Amino acid sequence: MEEVKEMNLADIRKLLKELLIESLSLEDIQPDEIADDEILFGEGLGLDSLDAVEIVVLLQRNFGLEVKDMKQGKEIFYSIDTLARYVYNNTRIK
Amino acid sequence: MFISGIGIIFTRGRGIDSFENALMQGWTDPSWTDSFPAYRVAKEVLSDAALSKKIRRADKFSKMAVFSALDAFKDSGITLNSNETIGIILATAFGPHTTTFSFIDDILDYGDAGVSPTKFSNSVHNAAASYISTVLGSCGPTVTLTDFSYPFQNALLLAESWLKEERCKHVLCGCVDELSVVMEYACKMKMKTAEDGKIRPFLFSDCPVSVLGEGAAFFMLSEEKCKNNYGEVSEIKLFGESKNNPDIIIIDADGMTGDESDYEKISNTGLPLAGYSPVFGSMKIGSAFNFAAASLMLKKQHVYRCPVLDNHSQMNLCSSTSETNITGINCVRICRSDQISIINIKK
Repeated sequence: MEEVKEMNLADIRKLLKELLIESLSLEDIQPDEIADDEILFGEGLGLDSLDAVEIVVLLQRNFGLEVKDMKQGKEIFYSIDTLARYVYNNTRIK
Repeated sequence: MFISGIGIIFTRGRGIDSFENALMQGWTDPSWTDSFPAYRVAKEVLSDAALSKKIRRADKFSKMAVFSALDAFKDSGITLNSNETIGIILATAFGPHTTTFSFIDDILDYGDAGVSPTKFSNSVHNAAASYISTVLGSCGPTVTLTDFSYPFQNALLLAESWLKEERCKHVLCGCVDELSVVMEYACKMKMKTAEDGKIRPFLFSDCPVSVLGEGAAFFMLSEEKCKNNYGEVSEIKLFGESKNNPDIIIIDADGMTGDESDYEKISNTGLPLAGYSPVFGSMKIGSAFNFAAASLMLKKQHVYRCPVLDNHSQMNLCSSTSETNITGINCVRICRSDQISIINIKK
């Protein structure tokens, strides 16, 4: 988790894409096929509520971040970009 | 009860044609990992673009179950009317234990708040049957059976009762089991592994050798004879003597149930004897694969050469692959001397 503090936003986006593909078994998708601003849920990447819980676990395991407020979660989980900004901002506070 | 379709996933591929090819081809060397032989199912066999969205979250155990069940359904050629239901019975000895152990490991590593919900849902024994039911859009009865001795036999008995009770016209009935590091470790410690990778079903040893296998075998079982018919299951005896006089006896001896000396008594009838476990590996659900071999033999009127012929008792083994004229086969499994199970299939 320490090395995340050294990463820039682009690196975090790349790492998140790889983690999402692995954790959510998105086997048919390559990391570069996910656009930074692509909507993750619903009509975008097509993720669902169980995937949301999986992302909560992913953030906790890999970055030590806890998302407890689901309202906040909706904004954070909007796209790779919003997720990456959340990780970037919160890992630096720690 | 008629066998109208078969679906199989095993070490040498997917589908009943792959299985028949393997029976024709005979014994092949298992894969070796750290000097441990096993008949593993390759990852490539478990991808299916048409199903990738529906079973995205499925683990290996569930994928093997779904693919073989779906193949059995397709092989039958049966199309269901809107008011018809199909039953699903999945039998297993160990269930999705790779996922279960991984889930437990995650609790230890990350705490209970840090474990994957998908892993949890896949660790439940009934997950695989649920995936099958979802993929088929089935609204019929669905059950998962767990049994260490006679999983397939118990599943067949249940299927027979569902069909008799007219709960459904067809039942997809099958078995699935997977390999894992834990399973391999347990077998290394507790069992005798064949150092040359060959299971020897006809040595009737009290300390037989095994080579672990994994896979799934499903059967579409129908109340009435369908266009695609492999044969009729005329008798399922868990304990007791068979009423039928078969042309061939297939035994499940594969080193997984300990002492195999009792197979000698039941095999010593002069009738041609076969056993195909060296093709697919040692499994508690091996009966389903031998049952598939028997079904193929009856449909194609073909006898397949036993893959490993080592035999000290002068048994009359099926020693060549050839055309034949057979009307009945008994599939025999013995877990204890007082518990002999016999499934009779007729042409």
